[in-house]
Amino acid sequence: MRKFDYRALLDKVQKPARYLGKEINAVHKDPDDVQLHIALAFPDLYEVGMSHLGLKILYALSNNIPGVYAERVFAPARDMEELLRAGGLPLFSLETWTPLHAFDLVGFTIQYELCYTAILNMLELGGIPLRSKERKDGNPFIVGGGPGAFNPEPLAPFFDFFVIGDGEEVLPELLKEYQRWKKSGDQQRISFLRRIASIPGIYVPSFYEPLEKDGKFAGIKPLLSGIPSKITKRTVDLEHSFYPEAFPVPYMKVVHDRAMLELFRGCTQGCRFCQAGIIYRPVRNRSIPRLRQLAGNIIARTGFEELSLTSLSSGDYPGIEELVDELKEELEGKDVQLSFPSLRAESSALKLADRVQRNRSGGVTFAPEAGTQRLRNVINKRISREEILGAAAEAISSGRNHVKLYFMIGLPTEKDEDILGIVKLVQDILAIYEKRDKKNRGPFRITVSAATFVPKAHTPFQWEPQIPLKEIRRRQALLKREFRPLRKVDFTWHEAEMSFLEAVFARGDRKLAPVLEKAYRMGSRLDAWSDKFSFSLWKRAFEAEGLDPEYYTEFQPGYDDPLPWDHIDTKVSKEYLIKEHRRAIRGETTGDCRVEGCRGCGIKNCPGMGVDGNLSL
Amino acid sequence: MKYISHLDLQRVFTRALRRGAIPVAFSQGFNPQPRLVFAAPLAVGLEGKNEYLDLYLTSCWEKEVLKQVLQEQLPGGLAIKTITFVDLSAEPLSALVEAALYVALFPSFSEQYVLTVADILQAKEIVAVRTGKKERKVDIRPFIYSLKIKNDSGGAQLFMLLAAGSKGGARPEEVLSLFPGGKETAKVFRENIFLRNGETLLTPAGETYEEYLQKVQLSLPA
Repeated sequence: MRKFDYRALLDKVQKPARYLGKEINAVHKDPDDVQLHIALAFPDLYEVGMSHLGLKILYALSNNIPGVYAERVFAPARDMEELLRAGGLPLFSLETWTPLHAFDLVGFTIQYELCYTAILNMLELGGIPLRSKERKDGNPFIVGGGPGAFNPEPLAPFFDFFVIGDGEEVLPELLKEYQRWKKSGDQQRISFLRRIASIPGIYVPSFYEPLEKDGKFAGIKPLLSGIPSKITKRTVDLEHSFYPEAFPVPYMKVVHDRAMLELFRGCTQGCRFCQAGIIYRPVRNRSIPRLRQLAGNIIARTGFEELSLTSLSSGDYPGIEELVDELKEELEGKDVQLSFPSLRAESSALKLADRVQRNRSGGVTFAPEAGTQRLRNVINKRISREEILGAAAEAISSGRNHVKLYFMIGLPTEKDEDILGIVKLVQDILAIYEKRDKKNRGPFRITVSAATFVPKAHTPFQWEPQIPLKEIRRRQALLKREFRPLRKVDFTWHEAEMSFLEAVFARGDRKLAPVLEKAYRMGSRLDAWSDKFSFSLWKRAFEAEGLDPEYYTEFQPGYDDPLPWDHIDTKVSKEYLIKEHRRAIRGETTGDCRVEGCRGCGIKNCPGMGVDGNLSL
Repeated sequence: MKYISHLDLQRVFTRALRRGAIPVAFSQGFNPQPRLVFAAPLAVGLEGKNEYLDLYLTSCWEKEVLKQVLQEQLPGGLAIKTITFVDLSAEPLSALVEAALYVALFPSFSEQYVLTVADILQAKEIVAVRTGKKERKVDIRPFIYSLKIKNDSGGAQLFMLLAAGSKGGARPEEVLSLFPGGKETAKVFRENIFLRNGETLLTPAGETYEEYLQKVQLSLPA
């Protein structure tokens, strides 16, 4: 299918390995055996996308289906994009260099708000009409999944449909339906969309219309009969679902250059700002024997030197010490390092990290998120100052030379004393270090990272505003001032305007779609990379479309007001979110349901509660 | 394959060894690394026809088995030519490498190339500018051991024997930039490496430079 030899381009770009493909475990199929050709598109660079677990799962899953060929596409870096545009060449897939418009289906994973323009860019570069209603028979179907699909409205006009929730079961169902539709001879796109609109977990936005009353969002109405008014996410049984043992091994260094073993999906900690904690419920574990088997096979098929035990909170895995011991046994003599992405700031977690780490002088990361107990209670981060300092003390005494701390500013009910609380915590950790005997201690650094709170859909804080830009900057300046004299402390923060834009889209609706397209046409690209981000461009795009971005960041709906994402059902009830929001305002914590019993979040037949016998809490 | 940096290439090998469950030995110390030593790193973007690697194993496998298992795990573009078992006390090739033969193929021949070769060989000093942490000027003339240009059915073949190894060297593109249109039109690859053996230079297989050069000239595509 290759009409143009893209190899000539490789000599002209930085990091040509981004576009090379041909990695170990990259899939190549005989075109004669392929009836359904799909592109899995990740709206960021190769080195970011190749670190993404979801892509690995869907790639292997799809390619295991006879007749289906899934290839990967990543966002081109600026230099490659310029060469493509200058040469009139379309964006191409990695494995066979097929132009994007030649695929039957293109699936995007929507990770977070700042990748939206990258999606539009890839569609246009790929020669695909941006808007769903402009696509004709013969154009690929454009589907979106991942966390961003839980508030899909700002992207609604650009996608033919969305997949909500776990992809392992719905993707094969979807592909089978496509094959049936193709066989039926009916060429009309609308027939395919009609067929899939009733598959659970699939949302076809063109079949739904947002309503307005007095200029405010008033709900979403199905335009056809026979389609659900609420689309419920898909949830799979992780123990028996597909997990890839082989996935492409990158040649170049990628952000997370390691194999991944997903221990469980979902999280029961209940941090109130966290969307992932809601959308991935209920918690579903993989068993130790299954994980051991997967670990052995993954290393045998990929050869990675590091295996990361991933989940939203790996320290919560029941029997984690036993799991670690079994994995170490399985991987004995293979020179494989086990690692955890991040652990809660507790000394038991640190012991866990030490159990797997060969080299103890590295860094340790904690995420207290707020500087005072009061504010931590508001966001439901149930960790005390004593525990944080205790964990830090243990890290320091075991020889760690670097402590990284994650915080957020702009949290609901936050006051300056909470911000100063961050500084106090850091000073206390420094004091622990200073107390050590000068002869026995090595160099030491603390890195403090302060992100800005973005209220997310489907969380107890979805009714909260983001603090105004001026306030973000003022609080950042406060922290910068306080940290300046502390030489051992590095302070990093997220650019205020980027957080502002995230907040606009995080609680956005369909009216934002024209702004997105406008910003894209004005030149907005990889917005997540801050050196490429232009706030003034975005401001002009909002103006041009007559919309006020501050409306979106600052609105505080009432509990009874309809929200632009209410039609997407996470299985967690709104009543529960309201209850949690009220508890937050009162500063009351809610316990971990694994430990303290069901909190009534609304999930029915929760496997985490032991109803399903083989998955235990 | 040529688009992969040297460090990345090392990882390609260590991962291939792991997948093949090949018993590679590890270095001592705090952070044990698998013991593989490349004879001479190849710059990104350059293809190498005969490259060498010293691999330390903890147990002896049969040559054919090792070749088959390792080759199965290596990506296309890395073809194992031969495996030779070497005494453990022998120095790794990386310590013995002194020069490398680069071949540049020009699309058309020009008398100017002959003149340029003569100029270079007569020059007392040739300065190349290298950008790194700071810019520095390097005299590459002592690193140009031999240059031969050959007219071959309308095209030109340039054979460059350049110093390689720990004492410094010349880069093929630095030499090519001295030729009109060299950098833009010539295709370059590394043909082989040479080890110091007393007064002579030998390939790891034991051929002298002169013998080898003759053989290569005969086998190049027209």
